[in-house]
Amino acid sequence: MVNLTIEGRPVTVADGTSILEAAKLAGVLVPHYCYHPGLPVAGVCRMCLVEVEKMPKLAPSCATAVAEGQVVHVHSEKAREARKGVLEFLLINHPLDCPICDQSGECELQDYTFAEGPKESRLREPKRFNPVEDFGGDVVYVTNRCILCTRCVRFMDTVAKDPVLNVSERGDRAVIGKFEGQDLTHPWAANVIDLCPVGALISKDFLNKARAWELDRTASICPNCSQGCNAIVETRDNVVVRMRPRSNEDVNQFYLCDYGRLNYRWLNRQDRVEAPLVRQRNALRAVDWEVAVARAAELLKGKRAFVLASPMLSNEALFLLGRLASATGGAGAFRVETGPEAPLAGVEDLALRADRAANGKGAELLGFTRDDAPLNAMQSGDVLIVADEELRGRDANVLAAKVADAAAVIVVGTSLPAWAQGAEVVLPIANCVEEEGTFTNLRGRVQRFLQAKAAPGLARPSWFVLGDLLAALGHGEPYYAASDAFAALAADRPEFAGMSYDELGLKGMTVAGAAEPAGVAS
Amino acid sequence: MSVREEGGLHAPAHAPHGDAGHAGEAPYAPVFVGARRRELDELLTRYPTKMAALLPALWMIQADRGWVSEEAMAEVAQVLDLTPAYVKGVVTFYTMYHQHPVGRHFVQVCTTSPCNVCGAEGVVDAFLEHTGCRELGVTSPDGRFTVIEVECLGACGFATPVMINEEFLESVTPAKVPEIVARYK
Amino acid sequence: MGYPHAPHPRETVVLSKYFGDPEARTLDGWKARGGYRALEQALGMDPVAIQNLVKESGLRGRGGAGFPTGLKWSFMKIGDGKPHYLCCNADESEPGTFKDREIMRWTPHALVEGVALASYAIGAEMGYVYIRGEFTEPIERMTAAVKEAYAAGILGANAMGTGKTVHVHVHKGAGAYICGEETALMNSLEGRRGNPRIKPPFPAVAGVFGQPTTINNVETLAAVPHILNNGAAWYKAFGRADNPKSTGTKLYSVCGNIARPGNYEVPMGFPFKEFLWDLCGGPLPGRKIKAVIPGGSSVPILTPEECEGALMDYEGFVTAGSMLGSGGVIVFDDAQCMVKQIARLARFYAHESCAQCTQCREGTAWTTRILERIEAGQGTMEDLDTLLDIADQMTGKTICVLSDSCATPVVSGIKKFRHEFEAHIKAKRCPMLPDTTPKIAAAASAAAA
Repeated sequence: MVNLTIEGRPVTVADGTSILEAAKLAGVLVPHYCYHPGLPVAGVCRMCLVEVEKMPKLAPSCATAVAEGQVVHVHSEKAREARKGVLEFLLINHPLDCPICDQSGECELQDYTFAEGPKESRLREPKRFNPVEDFGGDVVYVTNRCILCTRCVRFMDTVAKDPVLNVSERGDRAVIGKFEGQDLTHPWAANVIDLCPVGALISKDFLNKARAWELDRTASICPNCSQGCNAIVETRDNVVVRMRPRSNEDVNQFYLCDYGRLNYRWLNRQDRVEAPLVRQRNALRAVDWEVAVARAAELLKGKRAFVLASPMLSNEALFLLGRLASATGGAGAFRVETGPEAPLAGVEDLALRADRAANGKGAELLGFTRDDAPLNAMQSGDVLIVADEELRGRDANVLAAKVADAAAVIVVGTSLPAWAQGAEVVLPIANCVEEEGTFTNLRGRVQRFLQAKAAPGLARPSWFVLGDLLAALGHGEPYYAASDAFAALAADRPEFAGMSYDELGLKGMTVAGAAEPAGVAS
Repeated sequence: MSVREEGGLHAPAHAPHGDAGHAGEAPYAPVFVGARRRELDELLTRYPTKMAALLPALWMIQADRGWVSEEAMAEVAQVLDLTPAYVKGVVTFYTMYHQHPVGRHFVQVCTTSPCNVCGAEGVVDAFLEHTGCRELGVTSPDGRFTVIEVECLGACGFATPVMINEEFLESVTPAKVPEIVARYK
Repeated sequence: MGYPHAPHPRETVVLSKYFGDPEARTLDGWKARGGYRALEQALGMDPVAIQNLVKESGLRGRGGAGFPTGLKWSFMKIGDGKPHYLCCNADESEPGTFKDREIMRWTPHALVEGVALASYAIGAEMGYVYIRGEFTEPIERMTAAVKEAYAAGILGANAMGTGKTVHVHVHKGAGAYICGEETALMNSLEGRRGNPRIKPPFPAVAGVFGQPTTINNVETLAAVPHILNNGAAWYKAFGRADNPKSTGTKLYSVCGNIARPGNYEVPMGFPFKEFLWDLCGGPLPGRKIKAVIPGGSSVPILTPEECEGALMDYEGFVTAGSMLGSGGVIVFDDAQCMVKQIARLARFYAHESCAQCTQCREGTAWTTRILERIEAGQGTMEDLDTLLDIADQMTGKTICVLSDSCATPVVSGIKKFRHEFEAHIKAKRCPMLPDTTPKIAAAASAAAA
């Protein structure tokens, strides 16, 4: 360990730590552009120059290792002047197009210039001009805004291991380039957009959609595969407009795949069930929640409940559905859509997973089976609960027969597909960005997601609805907070023992015995 | 100095192997076959990595084809286990690789300060006039010459040094230019 | 007179003795002139003993930085189990410098011998000679010499029959000044863009191909066989008695507005004024020397007055306010516009910046644009302050010193020739050029009168 002082604050860090990282631990931000903790050090932007006592020149803090007894000044006159110089150099040819730039509001060039940059430009010559280039995939390169930090090039080289970007030309003619016909089509390529500290690499999907300051940001988990990448869901006026990675060293480092990040529109579906429905006079009619829950409880009384649940449901919802099935002598099943895996080569155990749903692992741990087999035990007179499962695709007909067979069908879901017109009760629930809950990723990591937007109409959080239903059936009390539902789960399931929302925090915890191959519990 | 055709926003896609969309154009013939391939393989024994042979390999391409096309970059990338984008990044760094066809005789006139004070600008003008190029970086109408200004050729005591292809001429003055131009057919 | 003319009697020709002698180019010719004796002797010595001998000679790097060569070699840990490499920096591209070119053109075997010897002394089995791509003739000569040396068994797995392995390989650059920077050269040799690397790690720890590497300039390596042959004391004796830090002879390239441009070899500590006037013949007839850059374009410009008492060695030029650098002496006479020439130098650096560091990429180009604007008569007094500010921001803040090298002539130029800058700004044109301003007002008033 090495002891040093940064901006007057003593800090002790591991040998070999850079001054920049040590400063972070001391609570001091050293402004920087090219440095990124997930990428090899380039040391080229020269923004992170700091004054180190007894060193003749300013030192690049990203590329200088700490030394015992070092005294580092980040905000000394000399260091600030150097940063001001870098900012002036970066700005001379940078267009002042912040009003039309998507990065505006979350731009590090803007931020640092505002904080300590020069007030006006001394450039009297015309600015350099280069055309905009489509890099393929979701990425557009606005050359004029580029500060040549090379984060994107290093990401494609060392993390994606698909070196399709380069620095072309040299001197002030240098630009980020690619080879004609070879685009940014790598399944993780859009991360260069997040890595770009300025508005040079921007998303086509997000282009001109919203200003950064209009967005509400919520910590969440990407629901689009079982990797459980930590994500930020960004909404504007209650509509999800963008999903970006949230760093978690143990899961996704700093990254989110293109499939995950661009697959958010389903969270904004407009064809939602907005009120509880009950079959009356041969048609589904909107009723009060009390009426709907009472009717569902009435249908379930003395019947076996078989559950077909979506693996997009939270642990909390699956736990309560599982309890409903086991308490009545029924069983639970789930189906997962799959697709090709797409690993991110430079990060261990990070991939777009074959399971294109967040919580298959949670469903298994909570007693659900990964195929329809348990439903074969259904006999006429049993109740079928379909929980947020639209029964699209492969064998909708087989299931339709079961639906026809059931004494009653209860739908707990976000939408109302055609077959559900035959249901007795429909209980509308929130989707995963409209409620709080947890998912368990394929490695057994339990991670929280928070509510990013309001659910439509009278739809309620799944744990709330199912808690009410169980209470109506005489199983426990209703829950008034997601954390209570999770506490009940943790108390009931040994794999989740000791967990709570507080314990999970925003980084999550791994279930007991997760190292074992995925097996179906209880 | 390097004059490049800007493709702009919607440049037509360049067929990587020249076999589509270029009516009448011969398909790309690889450079690294036969003797060139053996030469490259022999060269690879001089370095511990394949990548190190990139600059020499690009020189071979330029020697055979007169310039380094995108197809050639793709070929050398494949031969040396690199990506075409990587190769292009390297090619564009070094000023001596031609990224577009040039005249039969490529004239480089040093105009950096030591030569500049000895009248290099006059030498450039004389070449532009006598070759018929008229403009820097533009190939003469007869396809014979392309003239560029170049930074320090490292022969400052022999101002003005001029390189024509591989030939290095010393102490060139404007008066000598017509005779020099006449020598290159 | 120095090469391309016959040596001046006041020269001390060691390295340049056979410049202009075509026979010295061949292996037989070189052997007849005492070649490869030093290598043969060295291959029988302990590498560390060679390192010590070179240390004792006081030989310092001739590429520009002047680092003690023996000390540099001693950083290579013989027998550490890793492959070692020697790189010979023959990328000579500092404006004003053309000495390595002549060494390679006339005495290629001198360099092959030096490279082989140094490789052995640092425990390397491979020495790469990285020659800039524009040096077509030196590349040809060196390639031929290496081929001859292999054929004669001087190089190879059993070098000179000693059982030692010494390989030399010529690598051709492709047009990039920055590849003369040692770590950029290594990147270029590896087949990368010639971007300088952050140090540490230093080349002796992780150089080319990530292995311990020593990199030396052509002139440095060419001097080593002479030290082996004649001893460290002989080498040390060249130089002034009161400065033991600079030893040996030094090749200077002289160019620009001078009567006899060319290469001159003199011992360390030679008086600069006599050098310029006696050896090089002083200014062209009817002209006066206005400015001299003594060590390649990257060092501060000197006025003739500053050249007066200067002594030509590492310390002497520092005392005079500049640096020995690469030994490229550029002379400007009173017919030259300093603004134009400084702008031209800045343009060189802007063209050659590798584009990594912000200050260099943007600063070199911006500096050039301002200087060219002043030269074109569009400058303001504030521009001079801006230039100095930019130069300050470009100094000491980047990975390599290309940025500093661009700032140096700007700062010393504005400091020493400020009146020329101001004259441009006031006259709104270059005062050295004929006044082409239309005389409309004058003509009109003449007509009215």
